[in-house]
Amino acid sequence: MKTALWKTFALLAVVSMLGALCVVPAAAQEPGKVDEAWYAKAAEPYKGVTITGVSESTPPSKYAAEVLAPAFEKMTGIKVKFEVTSWDQMYDKEMKDMEAGTGLYDFVYLEQDIVYAYMARNFLVDLDQMMKDKPELVRPGFNWDDFVAFANYFKDPKTGHMMGMPMESFLKTVVYRTDLFGDPKIKEAFKAKYGYELAPATTFQQYRDIAEFFTQWGKDNNMELWGTVVQAHTGHVASWYEQVESILPAFGVYNWGINKDNWKACVANGGQMNSDRAKEALTWWLGNLKYAPPEATSSTWDEIAASFAAGRAAMGWEYCENLGWIGRDETKSKVIGKFAVALPPLYKGVLEDAKAGKGYIGYYDGGAYAIPVGSKNKEAAFLWLMYIGDPGIQAGWAIAGTRITMKATLDDPAVKEMDKQLGGYFTFYKEYSSLFAGAPPFPFHASVREVVAPFFFRAITGELTPSDALDQACAAAEEELVREGYGK
Amino acid sequence: MKSTRTGWGLLAPTLIILAFVGVLPFLYVFYIGFFDWTMFAAKTGLVFAGVNNYRRLVFDNDFLAALARTVQFAAWAVVSELILGFLLAQLLLRNFRGRSIFRTIHALPLVVAPIAVGATWRLFTIPGFGPLPYYLDKWFGFDYNISRYPSHAFATILLMDIWHWTPFVTLTLLAGLTALPREPFEQALVDGANRLQVFRYLTLPMIQPILLTTVFIRIMDALRIVDEVWMLTGGGPGTSNRYVGLHIWLIVFPKTDYGYGAAMSLLTLYFTIVLSWLLFIAIAQAGRQTTA
Amino acid sequence: MASRPWRKRLGKVGTYLIWIILSGFTLLPIYWLFVVSARSRVELFGGPSLLQTSFFAENYLKPLSSPTFQGYLINSLIIATSNALLVVICAVCATYALSRYRLKGDQSIFFWTITNRMAPPAVFLLPLFLLYAKVIRIGGWSLFDTHIGIILVYCVFNLPFAIWLLKGIVDGIPVELDEAALVDGANRLTVIVRIIVPLAAPSIAIAGILSWIFAWNEYLFAATLTSVNARTVTTGLAEFVTVVGTNWGQMAAVAFIAILPGLLFLSLVQRYIVTGLTFGAVKE
Repeated sequence: MKTALWKTFALLAVVSMLGALCVVPAAAQEPGKVDEAWYAKAAEPYKGVTITGVSESTPPSKYAAEVLAPAFEKMTGIKVKFEVTSWDQMYDKEMKDMEAGTGLYDFVYLEQDIVYAYMARNFLVDLDQMMKDKPELVRPGFNWDDFVAFANYFKDPKTGHMMGMPMESFLKTVVYRTDLFGDPKIKEAFKAKYGYELAPATTFQQYRDIAEFFTQWGKDNNMELWGTVVQAHTGHVASWYEQVESILPAFGVYNWGINKDNWKACVANGGQMNSDRAKEALTWWLGNLKYAPPEATSSTWDEIAASFAAGRAAMGWEYCENLGWIGRDETKSKVIGKFAVALPPLYKGVLEDAKAGKGYIGYYDGGAYAIPVGSKNKEAAFLWLMYIGDPGIQAGWAIAGTRITMKATLDDPAVKEMDKQLGGYFTFYKEYSSLFAGAPPFPFHASVREVVAPFFFRAITGELTPSDALDQACAAAEEELVREGYGK
Repeated sequence: MKSTRTGWGLLAPTLIILAFVGVLPFLYVFYIGFFDWTMFAAKTGLVFAGVNNYRRLVFDNDFLAALARTVQFAAWAVVSELILGFLLAQLLLRNFRGRSIFRTIHALPLVVAPIAVGATWRLFTIPGFGPLPYYLDKWFGFDYNISRYPSHAFATILLMDIWHWTPFVTLTLLAGLTALPREPFEQALVDGANRLQVFRYLTLPMIQPILLTTVFIRIMDALRIVDEVWMLTGGGPGTSNRYVGLHIWLIVFPKTDYGYGAAMSLLTLYFTIVLSWLLFIAIAQAGRQTTA
Repeated sequence: MASRPWRKRLGKVGTYLIWIILSGFTLLPIYWLFVVSARSRVELFGGPSLLQTSFFAENYLKPLSSPTFQGYLINSLIIATSNALLVVICAVCATYALSRYRLKGDQSIFFWTITNRMAPPAVFLLPLFLLYAKVIRIGGWSLFDTHIGIILVYCVFNLPFAIWLLKGIVDGIPVELDEAALVDGANRLTVIVRIIVPLAAPSIAIAGILSWIFAWNEYLFAATLTSVNARTVTTGLAEFVTVVGTNWGQMAAVAFIAILPGLLFLSLVQRYIVTGLTFGAVKE
């Protein structure tokens, strides 16, 4: 009997595995219309070539791999293969390939914060130069001015030439629950307690009041509701990122507090990492943990989106690429139609600084595709990049991935229609994106991050006070910078 | 005697493969341990640094702390698994109905990929979303949070490792115990020995070789743990559970500090060898005493 | 084995109780893995309950229907099976050689084969990457992203273990048997195949299975040394971890499917485990 049991089980396992191999994929989507004749002609010399790229499996990248790549192949005969991997693996593989010059990848995902590192090492093909050398590969009507300002981040500071083709960009800003903020009973209770109307916070004190209020409201009404999400994972650099991307700039501390002239971080040497303002920022942010759901100290970008989508917080900073599914996917979100975006609370003077171009109010995130110098199929890859930057496909891509790279996309009727489901995010983007900024131009981005983050984690767990944490962090940062040859 | 040529011929495939994918990379790592090499430093490429990396390591508090933590974890893990595995092996010695089913279920964790083990336990224990914190709070009012309390994180990692690897210990000890001859034990019973004496003077020395092997393998693997810890807490809270394998990973990958990472790996390897060797001697010594 | 007083006191009920509790403990995380795979994301983050009544099939259908994933499954099968075969063949030959011949330096060889397994793996990825992608290049072809490349790398972990496992058993097979066969006109290979292999069968089976399971489950080296052609199921797991959130449901579904082959093998050989895992340390 026992052997019969094992035999049946074995059969079951084998059958299910074979069955897995037979499942047929669903029908693919169609991208927007482009000048197919031009692409076919330009790609003639490269027909049959296969180009390989490495990327993550976020919705925009998935759309590129599953919809754009097959369409491109049909048009040109150039096959586009995607190595899909996790976020940290992606960088590791790209960097190894470019450092060793092995030419494994013909295009790589270039996140905005790593671009300076790559440029410093001359890893990438100069796209402007390539356009000059091979004008037959340039799509007629192509103009860098059609892109949003975010594209400027991919300019080599030395030459002003573009080194990457933007493929996505988003903002990280405050998102809040319109159903809660608009509920008359709640509004009344709030006004009674705090003395002013409930509205998205413009000062840090207001933000704190609102967070405190909703946490109490959740307790009183037996709801799984807290005031705010906080991206405060005690072991993953995501927490440090929230601080330097969003909180510090809102307090008026830019570029992580590192002085770009002498590469110093401590106040004593001209930096700002342990300035009073930075300490105030960290203290305020840590204070919000009291009004955050329990998973806050275990939250990376993944969990803060999940928490908000599960209805567990009244507001919080969110990476807005998530709004696409938070606003439309019932299998993932409980707050469809119940949220809107807003400007974050800001320190006095920060908004004016940002408008004048002297500072910024939050994080402008995104990436591009670039061609490593070691690629064996630069021309074919370049044509792929041309397709990525073609206005014809942008609207469909925006709807699938909640990402914008060209100005005209924001005026597309389908995109405007989607805006309502995103709590007004696209409108917000159009008006305010110029006030946000990407990561500072630091080639040492990753190494200094790894050195500074541990002090940060200890501040979150309470092992260090915010003041001590920042004092020690700036010293460690300076030590690492000198060791890598930046500053004395 | 026999022509040793055939002998070397049979050994050749193994040696060639291992020389190629084992020794060559090892020599490379040894080589770059003498250089400063960070991908995005102002001075790019390999910069000769002599034994500077090793000197830095001796004073590197983060590294030493990571090493200490790893030894602490390995000690707890291996001892727990050993005791538990031994007891379970005893239970599995005599046949009873359903024994093979229980044995198979018990061995199940061994076939799950380490990265999946880490992911499963993370989902199980994540504050706010996982069932374990939820029910611990609901039924016992216990605030279980692995992202806030280092001791909770440590206990969870330990539990995860015990869950994952005790079956290995159980099965190897079971194999050893099963193969033991009956007569000495029956004789001991006749001679009126109590169970502790039987254990100390008969069982232990007789399973000593397999015990040593099992302990050695477990210690080796426990000192190298990475994926599971990374998935569970990222080494947190803070750096309280950043073991040396994870520490090296973080130095080599995001930080791209290859030279330093290489030196660190070799030093860790040396440490592991010395530790294992000391343990080997200790257990062998204990075994020799009891057979007196 | 003589019965022990504490086990008698424990009694049948006690034994069953212990095993049921233990099995529960063992199965709980795996059950949870299944529950996660059966839930849509919104159910997953809406508050934990241990019971699951619905089944969100999309978590399974989506990855399974993707040709890329089907390719991963096939790659994993090829790599794991080939590696297990290669390891077993090399290990049997190697242990025979070490056992029957006086080879100079065999102790240190043994030691060297173990050290690679003892070291933290992270830093070895770079030289292997360079070796595969840069050094071993014939025209446009390199060892990077090939099945054979990964199969060879896994030998570093599986070969020493297999040799270790088999050495004692092979040592325990009397040389007289060899000599008798040789006298009858057989050559060394026949001796190995006809005499050694059958006698050491349980341990060989275990070595093969454990190698297979390791190769099937390994993540780090496969992720670094493959790209699109030789990608395995386990590396596919990491794919679900992105900046826009980890797709826990699909990840759990794939992880759950990945357990099945291992479980299959486990159930088939659990009989041999007991005899095969002695490392030859105890004589029959």
